[in-house]
Amino acid sequence: MRLLIGIAWLWAFLGLGSAIAGAVGLPLPGSVVGMLLLWGALESGAVRLAWLDRGAGSLLALLGLLFVPAGVGFLQYAGAGRVWLAVAAVVAVGALATLAVTGHVVQRAVGGA
Amino acid sequence: MPELWLPITAAVYAGALLLRRRVRSPLLNPTLVTMAALGALLAAGHVPYARYAGATSPLTALLGPAIVALAVPLHREREMLRRHAAPLALGALLGATCAIAVGYGAGVLLGLAPDWAIALSSQSASSPISIALAGELHGAAGLSAVVSVLAGVVGATLGPRWLDLVRVRHPMARGLAHGVASHGIGTGRMIDETRLAGATAAVGMGLGGVIVAVALPLLWT
Repeated sequence: MRLLIGIAWLWAFLGLGSAIAGAVGLPLPGSVVGMLLLWGALESGAVRLAWLDRGAGSLLALLGLLFVPAGVGFLQYAGAGRVWLAVAAVVAVGALATLAVTGHVVQRAVGGA
Repeated sequence: MPELWLPITAAVYAGALLLRRRVRSPLLNPTLVTMAALGALLAAGHVPYARYAGATSPLTALLGPAIVALAVPLHREREMLRRHAAPLALGALLGATCAIAVGYGAGVLLGLAPDWAIALSSQSASSPISIALAGELHGAAGLSAVVSVLAGVVGATLGPRWLDLVRVRHPMARGLAHGVASHGIGTGRMIDETRLAGATAAVGMGLGGVIVAVALPLLWT
Protein backbone atom coordinates (compact mmCIF):
# COMPACT_ATOMS: atom_id res chain seq x y z
CA MET A 1 0.00 0.00 0.00
CA ARG A 2 2.79 2.44 0.92
CA LEU A 3 4.45 1.46 -2.34
CA LEU A 4 1.38 2.44 -4.38
CA ILE A 5 0.88 5.69 -2.46
CA GLY A 6 4.53 6.55 -3.07
CA ILE A 7 4.26 5.91 -6.81
CA ALA A 8 1.02 7.95 -6.88
CA TRP A 9 2.91 10.90 -5.33
CA LEU A 10 5.62 10.61 -7.99
CA TRP A 11 2.97 10.48 -10.70
CA ALA A 12 1.24 13.54 -9.25
CA PHE A 13 4.49 15.53 -9.39
CA LEU A 14 5.09 14.25 -12.94
CA GLY A 15 1.65 15.56 -13.95
CA LEU A 16 2.26 18.87 -12.17
CA GLY A 17 5.69 19.24 -13.83
CA SER A 18 4.31 18.46 -17.29
CA ALA A 19 1.39 20.86 -16.81
CA ILE A 20 3.67 23.69 -15.70
CA ALA A 21 6.22 23.04 -18.48
CA GLY A 22 3.38 23.08 -21.02
CA ALA A 23 1.67 26.17 -19.63
CA VAL A 24 4.85 28.26 -19.34
CA GLY A 25 6.24 26.90 -22.61
CA LEU A 26 9.42 25.57 -20.94
CA PRO A 27 11.45 23.40 -23.31
CA LEU A 28 12.35 21.11 -20.35
CA PRO A 29 10.96 17.58 -20.04
CA GLY A 30 7.98 17.67 -17.64
CA SER A 31 9.58 14.86 -15.61
CA VAL A 32 12.64 17.01 -14.84
CA VAL A 33 10.39 19.93 -13.81
CA GLY A 34 8.47 17.46 -11.61
CA MET A 35 11.72 16.28 -10.02
CA LEU A 36 12.74 19.88 -9.20
CA LEU A 37 9.28 20.58 -7.74
CA LEU A 38 9.43 17.44 -5.60
CA TRP A 39 12.95 18.31 -4.43
CA GLY A 40 11.70 21.76 -3.39
CA ALA A 41 8.64 20.25 -1.67
CA LEU A 42 10.83 17.81 0.29
CA GLU A 43 13.28 20.54 1.34
CA SER A 44 10.49 22.88 2.46
CA GLY A 45 8.73 20.10 4.36
CA ALA A 46 5.53 20.42 2.29
CA VAL A 47 5.98 16.74 1.37
CA ARG A 48 7.52 14.24 3.81
CA LEU A 49 10.06 11.70 2.60
CA ALA A 50 8.23 8.93 4.48
CA TRP A 51 5.16 9.38 2.25
CA LEU A 52 6.94 8.33 -0.91
CA ASP A 53 10.12 6.61 0.28
CA ARG A 54 8.98 3.08 -0.61
CA GLY A 55 7.65 3.97 -4.04
CA ALA A 56 10.73 5.99 -5.00
CA GLY A 57 13.09 3.32 -3.67
CA SER A 58 11.50 0.50 -5.65
CA LEU A 59 11.34 2.52 -8.90
CA LEU A 60 14.99 3.56 -8.57
CA ALA A 61 15.97 -0.06 -7.84
CA LEU A 62 14.30 -1.08 -11.11
CA LEU A 63 15.63 1.89 -13.08
CA GLY A 64 18.09 -0.24 -15.06
CA LEU A 65 15.21 -2.36 -16.39
CA LEU A 66 12.84 0.52 -17.09
CA PHE A 67 14.90 2.05 -19.89
CA VAL A 68 15.73 -1.20 -21.67
CA PRO A 69 12.78 -0.93 -24.13
CA ALA A 70 13.74 2.63 -25.12
CA GLY A 71 17.39 1.61 -25.42
CA VAL A 72 16.59 -1.34 -27.69
CA GLY A 73 15.57 1.36 -30.19
CA PHE A 74 19.30 1.55 -31.05
CA LEU A 75 18.48 -1.43 -33.35
CA GLN A 76 17.10 1.05 -35.87
CA TYR A 77 20.65 2.44 -36.12
CA ALA A 78 22.47 -0.89 -36.00
CA GLY A 79 23.45 -0.56 -39.67
CA ALA A 80 25.22 2.78 -39.16
CA GLY A 81 28.63 1.01 -39.09
CA ARG A 82 31.59 3.37 -38.75
CA VAL A 83 29.53 6.15 -37.16
CA TRP A 84 29.32 3.93 -34.06
CA LEU A 85 33.13 3.80 -33.81
CA ALA A 86 33.38 7.58 -33.93
CA VAL A 87 30.57 7.90 -31.39
CA ALA A 88 32.23 5.41 -29.02
CA ALA A 89 35.49 7.36 -29.22
CA VAL A 90 33.71 10.67 -28.49
CA VAL A 91 31.86 9.11 -25.54
CA ALA A 92 35.13 7.82 -24.05
CA VAL A 93 36.93 11.16 -24.49
CA GLY A 94 33.91 13.06 -23.14
CA ALA A 95 33.57 10.85 -20.06
CA LEU A 96 37.28 11.00 -19.17
CA ALA A 97 37.48 14.76 -19.72
CA THR A 98 34.36 15.30 -17.60
CA LEU A 99 35.76 13.10 -14.80
CA ALA A 100 39.03 15.06 -14.73
CA VAL A 101 37.40 18.52 -14.89
CA THR A 102 34.77 17.77 -12.24
CA GLY A 103 37.26 16.04 -9.97
CA HIS A 104 39.84 18.84 -10.07
CA VAL A 105 37.28 21.62 -9.63
CA VAL A 106 35.82 19.95 -6.53
CA GLN A 107 39.21 18.97 -5.09
CA ARG A 108 40.54 22.50 -5.44
CA ALA A 109 37.36 24.12 -4.11
CA VAL A 110 37.19 21.79 -1.09
CA GLY A 111 40.86 22.46 -0.44
CA GLY A 112 42.20 18.94 -0.66
CA ALA A 113 44.56 19.45 -3.62
CA MET B 1 3.29 -13.77 -29.29
CA PRO B 2 4.11 -10.08 -28.96
CA GLU B 3 2.54 -9.95 -25.49
CA LEU B 4 5.43 -12.01 -24.11
CA TRP B 5 8.12 -9.39 -24.80
CA LEU B 6 7.68 -7.71 -21.42
CA PRO B 7 8.20 -10.87 -19.32
CA ILE B 8 11.04 -11.92 -21.65
CA THR B 9 12.75 -8.54 -21.10
CA ALA B 10 12.30 -8.83 -17.32
CA ALA B 11 13.65 -12.41 -17.33
CA VAL B 12 16.72 -11.50 -19.40
CA TYR B 13 17.39 -8.55 -17.05
CA ALA B 14 17.11 -10.85 -14.01
CA GLY B 15 19.59 -13.22 -15.67
CA ALA B 16 21.94 -10.31 -16.39
CA LEU B 17 21.75 -9.25 -12.70
CA LEU B 18 22.68 -12.79 -11.61
CA LEU B 19 25.54 -12.89 -14.13
CA ARG B 20 26.92 -9.61 -12.75
CA ARG B 21 26.77 -10.98 -9.21
CA ARG B 22 29.07 -13.83 -10.30
CA VAL B 23 31.43 -11.80 -12.50
CA ARG B 24 31.86 -8.42 -10.82
CA SER B 25 32.82 -6.37 -13.85
CA PRO B 26 31.26 -3.01 -14.78
CA LEU B 27 31.58 -4.14 -18.44
CA LEU B 28 28.75 -6.61 -17.72
CA ASN B 29 26.35 -3.77 -17.02
CA PRO B 30 22.94 -5.51 -16.75
CA THR B 31 21.13 -2.85 -18.80
CA LEU B 32 23.68 -3.02 -21.61
CA VAL B 33 23.67 -6.86 -21.60
CA THR B 34 19.84 -6.92 -21.71
CA MET B 35 19.67 -4.36 -24.55
CA ALA B 36 22.19 -6.36 -26.59
CA ALA B 37 20.42 -9.68 -25.96
CA LEU B 38 16.97 -8.29 -26.82
CA GLY B 39 18.42 -6.57 -29.89
CA ALA B 40 19.82 -9.91 -31.07
CA LEU B 41 16.51 -11.70 -30.36
CA LEU B 42 14.46 -9.12 -32.27
CA ALA B 43 16.87 -9.12 -35.21
CA ALA B 44 16.93 -12.94 -35.36
CA GLY B 45 13.12 -13.12 -35.26
CA HIS B 46 12.62 -10.20 -37.70
CA VAL B 47 10.41 -8.50 -35.12
CA PRO B 48 9.84 -4.81 -35.94
CA TYR B 49 10.98 -2.49 -33.13
CA ALA B 50 7.55 -0.79 -33.01
CA ARG B 51 5.94 -4.09 -32.06
CA TYR B 52 8.45 -4.66 -29.26
CA ALA B 53 8.06 -1.08 -28.03
CA GLY B 54 4.26 -1.50 -27.92
CA ALA B 55 4.45 -4.73 -25.94
CA THR B 56 6.87 -3.26 -23.38
CA SER B 57 5.22 0.18 -23.06
CA PRO B 58 4.28 -0.34 -19.36
CA LEU B 59 8.00 -0.28 -18.49
CA THR B 60 8.55 2.89 -20.52
CA ALA B 61 5.54 4.51 -18.83
CA LEU B 62 7.33 4.21 -15.47
CA LEU B 63 10.35 6.23 -16.68
CA GLY B 64 8.64 9.57 -15.97
CA PRO B 65 7.89 8.84 -12.28
CA ALA B 66 11.39 7.32 -11.95
CA ILE B 67 12.98 10.62 -13.03
CA VAL B 68 10.82 12.44 -10.46
CA ALA B 69 12.12 9.95 -7.86
CA LEU B 70 15.69 11.20 -8.46
CA ALA B 71 14.75 14.07 -6.11
CA VAL B 72 14.90 11.59 -3.20
CA PRO B 73 18.70 10.95 -3.21
CA LEU B 74 19.27 14.73 -3.51
CA HIS B 75 17.03 15.32 -0.49
CA ARG B 76 18.70 12.54 1.48
CA GLU B 77 22.14 14.14 1.06
CA ARG B 78 20.89 17.65 1.97
CA GLU B 79 23.37 17.95 4.86
CA MET B 80 26.34 17.42 2.56
CA LEU B 81 24.84 19.68 -0.11
CA ARG B 82 24.32 22.47 2.41
CA ARG B 83 27.81 22.17 3.90
CA HIS B 84 29.67 22.03 0.57
CA ALA B 85 27.20 23.85 -1.68
CA ALA B 86 29.77 25.94 -3.58
CA PRO B 87 32.32 23.23 -4.50
CA LEU B 88 29.62 20.73 -5.45
CA ALA B 89 27.58 23.19 -7.54
CA LEU B 90 30.71 24.55 -9.25
CA GLY B 91 32.04 21.05 -9.98
CA ALA B 92 28.71 19.86 -11.38
CA LEU B 93 28.29 23.01 -13.49
CA LEU B 94 31.79 22.94 -15.04
CA GLY B 95 31.78 19.14 -15.40
CA ALA B 96 28.40 19.00 -17.14
CA THR B 97 29.45 21.93 -19.36
CA CYS B 98 32.55 19.95 -20.37
CA ALA B 99 30.48 16.85 -21.25
CA ILE B 100 28.02 18.91 -23.30
CA ALA B 101 30.85 20.79 -25.05
CA VAL B 102 32.67 17.59 -26.06
CA GLY B 103 29.46 15.96 -27.36
CA TYR B 104 28.15 19.06 -29.13
CA GLY B 105 31.56 20.00 -30.52
CA ALA B 106 32.19 16.49 -31.85
CA GLY B 107 28.75 16.51 -33.49
CA VAL B 108 29.59 19.75 -35.32
CA LEU B 109 33.17 18.73 -36.24
CA LEU B 110 32.15 15.29 -37.52
CA GLY B 111 29.06 16.67 -39.27
CA LEU B 112 26.76 14.20 -37.51
CA ALA B 113 22.99 14.13 -38.08
CA PRO B 114 20.99 15.85 -35.28
CA ASP B 115 19.80 12.59 -33.65
CA TRP B 116 23.43 11.44 -33.16
CA ALA B 117 24.60 14.89 -32.06
CA ILE B 118 21.76 15.18 -29.52
CA ALA B 119 22.61 11.74 -28.12
CA LEU B 120 26.30 12.74 -27.73
CA SER B 121 25.44 16.08 -26.09
CA SER B 122 23.37 14.32 -23.41
CA GLN B 123 25.87 11.47 -22.87
CA SER B 124 26.55 12.41 -19.25
CA ALA B 125 22.86 12.48 -18.23
CA SER B 126 21.18 9.40 -16.81
CA SER B 127 19.44 7.42 -19.61
CA PRO B 128 15.88 8.30 -18.54
CA ILE B 129 16.78 12.00 -18.71
CA SER B 130 18.49 11.67 -22.09
CA ILE B 131 15.46 9.71 -23.37
CA ALA B 132 13.14 12.51 -22.20
CA LEU B 133 15.45 15.09 -23.84
CA ALA B 134 15.44 13.12 -27.11
CA GLY B 135 11.64 13.34 -27.02
CA GLU B 136 11.74 17.08 -26.33
CA LEU B 137 14.35 17.88 -29.02
CA HIS B 138 13.14 15.36 -31.63
CA GLY B 139 16.20 13.18 -31.31
CA ALA B 140 16.22 9.36 -31.18
CA ALA B 141 15.39 7.87 -27.76
CA GLY B 142 17.21 4.59 -28.50
CA LEU B 143 20.45 6.30 -29.53
CA SER B 144 20.36 8.68 -26.56
CA ALA B 145 19.72 5.81 -24.12
CA VAL B 146 22.56 3.66 -25.47
CA VAL B 147 25.06 6.54 -25.63
CA SER B 148 24.30 7.40 -21.98
CA VAL B 149 24.77 3.78 -20.92
CA LEU B 150 28.12 3.72 -22.77
CA ALA B 151 29.28 6.86 -20.95
CA GLY B 152 28.28 5.18 -17.70
CA VAL B 153 30.22 2.02 -18.51
CA VAL B 154 33.35 3.97 -19.57
CA GLY B 155 33.29 5.93 -16.30
CA ALA B 156 32.67 2.90 -14.13
CA THR B 157 35.41 0.79 -15.77
CA LEU B 158 38.17 3.35 -16.42
CA GLY B 159 37.14 6.17 -14.04
CA PRO B 160 38.76 5.14 -10.73
CA ARG B 161 42.18 4.42 -12.27
CA TRP B 162 41.95 7.49 -14.52
CA LEU B 163 41.31 9.70 -11.48
CA ASP B 164 44.33 8.12 -9.70
CA LEU B 165 46.40 9.00 -12.76
CA VAL B 166 45.29 12.65 -12.86
CA ARG B 167 45.62 12.83 -9.05
CA VAL B 168 42.05 13.35 -7.98
CA ARG B 169 42.11 11.74 -4.53
CA HIS B 170 39.53 13.52 -2.40
CA PRO B 171 36.54 11.13 -1.99
CA MET B 172 34.02 13.93 -2.62
CA ALA B 173 35.84 14.96 -5.80
CA ARG B 174 35.98 11.34 -7.03
CA GLY B 175 32.33 10.79 -6.18
CA LEU B 176 30.96 13.94 -7.80
CA ALA B 177 33.09 13.34 -10.91
CA HIS B 178 31.63 9.86 -11.37
CA GLY B 179 28.06 11.05 -10.80
CA VAL B 180 28.39 13.95 -13.24
CA ALA B 181 30.25 12.01 -15.98
CA SER B 182 28.68 8.56 -15.58
CA HIS B 183 25.35 9.06 -13.74
CA GLY B 184 23.86 5.92 -12.11
CA ILE B 185 26.44 3.42 -13.39
CA GLY B 186 29.34 5.52 -12.11
CA THR B 187 27.46 6.04 -8.84
CA GLY B 188 27.18 2.27 -8.42
CA ARG B 189 30.95 2.00 -8.81
CA MET B 190 31.58 4.76 -6.23
CA ILE B 191 29.34 3.08 -3.65
CA ASP B 192 31.98 0.29 -3.66
CA GLU B 193 34.76 2.85 -2.99
CA THR B 194 33.61 4.76 0.12
CA ARG B 195 30.27 5.81 1.61
CA LEU B 196 31.16 9.47 1.13
CA ALA B 197 32.13 8.94 -2.53
CA GLY B 198 28.88 7.03 -3.18
CA ALA B 199 26.71 9.72 -1.60
CA THR B 200 28.52 12.50 -3.49
CA ALA B 201 28.12 10.55 -6.73
CA ALA B 202 24.34 10.41 -6.19
CA VAL B 203 24.37 14.18 -5.74
CA GLY B 204 26.48 14.56 -8.91
CA MET B 205 24.08 12.42 -10.93
CA GLY B 206 21.11 14.56 -9.82
CA LEU B 207 22.77 17.97 -10.27
CA GLY B 208 24.48 16.98 -13.53
CA GLY B 209 21.25 15.57 -14.99
CA VAL B 210 19.34 18.76 -14.17
CA ILE B 211 22.07 20.97 -15.70
CA VAL B 212 22.10 18.93 -18.95
CA ALA B 213 18.29 18.95 -19.07
CA VAL B 214 18.18 22.75 -18.69
CA ALA B 215 21.13 23.52 -21.00
CA LEU B 216 20.42 21.29 -24.02
CA PRO B 217 17.03 22.77 -24.98
CA LEU B 218 18.65 26.24 -24.91
CA LEU B 219 21.47 24.99 -27.15
CA TRP B 220 19.16 23.32 -29.63
CA THR B 221 16.43 25.95 -30.10
